[in-house]
Amino acid sequence: MSGASRVVSRSLARIDAPGKVTGTAVYAADFALPGMLYGKIFRSAEPHARLVRLDTTRAAAIAGVRAVISAADGPDVRYGAAVKDEPVFASDIVRYVGQPVAAVAAVTLEAAEAALAAIEAVCEPLPRVLDLAAALAPGAPLVHEGWQTYTAIPILQRDGNVCNRARIVVGDVERGWAEADQVFEHRFTTAMVHQGYTEPRAAVAAWDSSGQVTVWSNTQLPFDVQATLADILAIAPSKVRVIVPGVGGGFGGKLRVGVEHFAALLARRAGRPVKVMTTSEEELTAAYPRQGTIIELKTGVTLDGRLTARQGRIYFDTGAFAGSGPGVASVATMVLAGPYRTPNLHLEGYAVYTNKTNCGSYRAPSGPQANFAVESQMDIIADALGIDPLELRLRNIVREGDEGPTGQVLSAVGLEECLRRAAEAIGWRDRRPAPGRGKGLAIGWWTTTGGSSGVYVKINPDGTVALNTGAVEIGTAALTGAAQVLAEALGVDLADVTVVSGDTFSTPFDFGAQGSRTAFAVGNACRAAAAELQRKLFALAAAQLGAPEEALALHDKHVVGPGGRVSLAELARQSQVAGGGMIAHGTFIAPATAYDTKRVEGHVYPAFHSPSFHAHAVDLSVDAETGEVAIHKYVVAQDVGFALNPTYIEGQIEGGVAQGLGQTLSEEIVYRDGRVLNANLTDYKMPTTLDVPRVESILVEHPGRVGPFGAKGVGEPPNIEPPAAVANAIAAAVGARISSLPITAEKIVLTQRAGSG
Amino acid sequence: MAKIPITLQINRERHEALVEPDRTLLDVLRSDLGLTGTKTNCLDAECGVCTVLVDGLAVNSCLYLAVVAQDRAITTIEGLAPAGTLHPLQRAFVESGAVQCGYCIPGMILAAKAYLDDHPQPSEAQIREALAGNLCRCTGYQKIVDAVLAAANCMTAEKVAL
Repeated sequence: MSGASRVVSRSLARIDAPGKVTGTAVYAADFALPGMLYGKIFRSAEPHARLVRLDTTRAAAIAGVRAVISAADGPDVRYGAAVKDEPVFASDIVRYVGQPVAAVAAVTLEAAEAALAAIEAVCEPLPRVLDLAAALAPGAPLVHEGWQTYTAIPILQRDGNVCNRARIVVGDVERGWAEADQVFEHRFTTAMVHQGYTEPRAAVAAWDSSGQVTVWSNTQLPFDVQATLADILAIAPSKVRVIVPGVGGGFGGKLRVGVEHFAALLARRAGRPVKVMTTSEEELTAAYPRQGTIIELKTGVTLDGRLTARQGRIYFDTGAFAGSGPGVASVATMVLAGPYRTPNLHLEGYAVYTNKTNCGSYRAPSGPQANFAVESQMDIIADALGIDPLELRLRNIVREGDEGPTGQVLSAVGLEECLRRAAEAIGWRDRRPAPGRGKGLAIGWWTTTGGSSGVYVKINPDGTVALNTGAVEIGTAALTGAAQVLAEALGVDLADVTVVSGDTFSTPFDFGAQGSRTAFAVGNACRAAAAELQRKLFALAAAQLGAPEEALALHDKHVVGPGGRVSLAELARQSQVAGGGMIAHGTFIAPATAYDTKRVEGHVYPAFHSPSFHAHAVDLSVDAETGEVAIHKYVVAQDVGFALNPTYIEGQIEGGVAQGLGQTLSEEIVYRDGRVLNANLTDYKMPTTLDVPRVESILVEHPGRVGPFGAKGVGEPPNIEPPAAVANAIAAAVGARISSLPITAEKIVLTQRAGSG
Repeated sequence: MAKIPITLQINRERHEALVEPDRTLLDVLRSDLGLTGTKTNCLDAECGVCTVLVDGLAVNSCLYLAVVAQDRAITTIEGLAPAGTLHPLQRAFVESGAVQCGYCIPGMILAAKAYLDDHPQPSEAQIREALAGNLCRCTGYQKIVDAVLAAANCMTAEKVAL
């Protein structure tokens, strides 16, 4: 970029803020249509059972009920992102408490609820697979007897209750153990946690007389939902229109079809629009939470702290259906490698079926779990070898030009700077400043997910700019970032840009709000569109300015030539008169990242594109009596490549840390005997204003080669390191090494007692 | 259930409604009056997205019966400032980068409004205490607290100027 930027790198207010602070912004939960019915889902009360009888006749007879549907009404279809294993309704077998069995629509919510209460389901219990140990035991009952009959991504390594085993093998770990002076083996566990978005999942569906269904939903992936709905409804994708009015947080929990299919099926049956919205109980029992895990990690080191080998296995309790599990298990192996040089690796991720809710994706899927193990163990190793944890990391971190675990060549590696600056900001030299007080570090790396993005950009006759994108704004301000890129490229102000988004009928395709990709990919599509618009503008302006196109430039809302200038507004008006309007189609697809295919197996995510690097540091105290943790300071140094809008990147960091601290200290979906014990927001403990400390954000900028102005994905990374950073600080503070999440006060006290006893 | 006629004073406007005795204020606001700036989520007074002001006090409208609101002055986010203008709190939330998905923001702003009316110069700790019943999953609260502090300063300065 030449000269000072006009729009990018400035902390401008997000373009959708006024509507959000005045209550005029419409979210999917707010959306309603005239004559709309209310849909509710009848769910399994058994974790694993044969459904021998389902009687909906009493429900259908209740006043106000307009539709009752179940598996008997079809369609007989299974869907799923990696394995097509999930039916719309359970037919013969129910596989978790909360699995949909039937659905009703009625003129009021009360009538719909009364109808649910009138449905009778008779079940005969089957052997239950309630946790990872039970699922992986020899001769374990199968969650899916027919798993081999399911359609799946061909490369998946499936076997019984394992719906994928992803593997990375580098070098020879046996040689690595031989070269090591010490070998460390540890086991870690993490709990199932929910994304905690404040807006429930919601969808309104309406069919028109041509057989097209329109669904207004708060999905993060309208085009994925369109495709899934077309499969489920057995109609062409063009007959499904998905519109995203507004999304009250997603964090990965609103990626896949959630309630849209129920709304569409009920609306088809009833002949009226139907709205379906989840309750908190449904969210905590039948949504797409983050998988609980067991992680076994074995690492060899020399006495001077050089890593020689690592063997890791991470098991994901992915629930009754594969969901995101096969992909998450793949990504996990990349995280298990850590941002470290390790010559010999044998890393495996297992996605395992159990009779629990179907787990999905949650901000940096697998990141917090795998990183918790890796970075906890790094501190254990440092302590055992008598090497400072910062120094141990500095001796092993990846640097410019190093290889990633699958052989990708790393560039724009800002890790050392992140690590040093985070350590400096937390005052690392004084790691145990007082009794009961300690500091912890954790580092990591993450990907900027690929997938294509398209935009239409139009210059209006008043000189303002309309951005039409299939992407979705879930709250990150990613579309404000993309609009900043567009405004910069066209030489206009951010205030000149308006955005229309997320409509599968009228907006270009976008891979969706996932994987920290939106500002990155849509921003680049905007640059492509701006380049095309520039060509058209220059062609139109050249004759008027009496200058060749090569002599023209875009500046301050004008095309400027050597002898004069003409405004974008004027050129847009001329184009409307004679050229059908000043419009361009910009597209972007991230270039493939080369890797060594021989190193991976069953792997659906074998390279981290435009990877980001980050370091977290925390200073905290542990109450000697109660075990309660008080955080004094939290620092994040994140290599964002280029900060498109510093304020909202800080917002991502502050929010990601807050969520991460919830997962670290208090959050857990507690299952007992296949049932969730805490399916309400009183007992599922998310952090409040009183629980979250101030976070100091340090934005490190090592520009990448692909992203707009060098930007890297920023949304997911801040969620990765909090568990390990906090666990390490607690260990420094009181000597208690907690290896299971959440790290409750109770666990700290009990671990301390066990240690001193 | 027999319906009861009630009169609600919402954003300084009078509304007649006929409601069952167990209807919540939240439901009447959103379903009957189309005031969807007041958000819905847990229906259990745990998350705070449904916060409105009743006679100046912040309440969770999801557990507040509509019949109890009879003759009380109710303020929702739509009525916080005249159309086309922003209340200092709204302006501060925009300018501080305190808004992400925005779903908690109407409730957050109204909870802050109720507190600032009684505590015009609060400390950060007091603001955190006042907003502890309003969950936000996006922001980590930092910029929200900053926005309320900024708004308090701005409102105090405006009063002094008068």
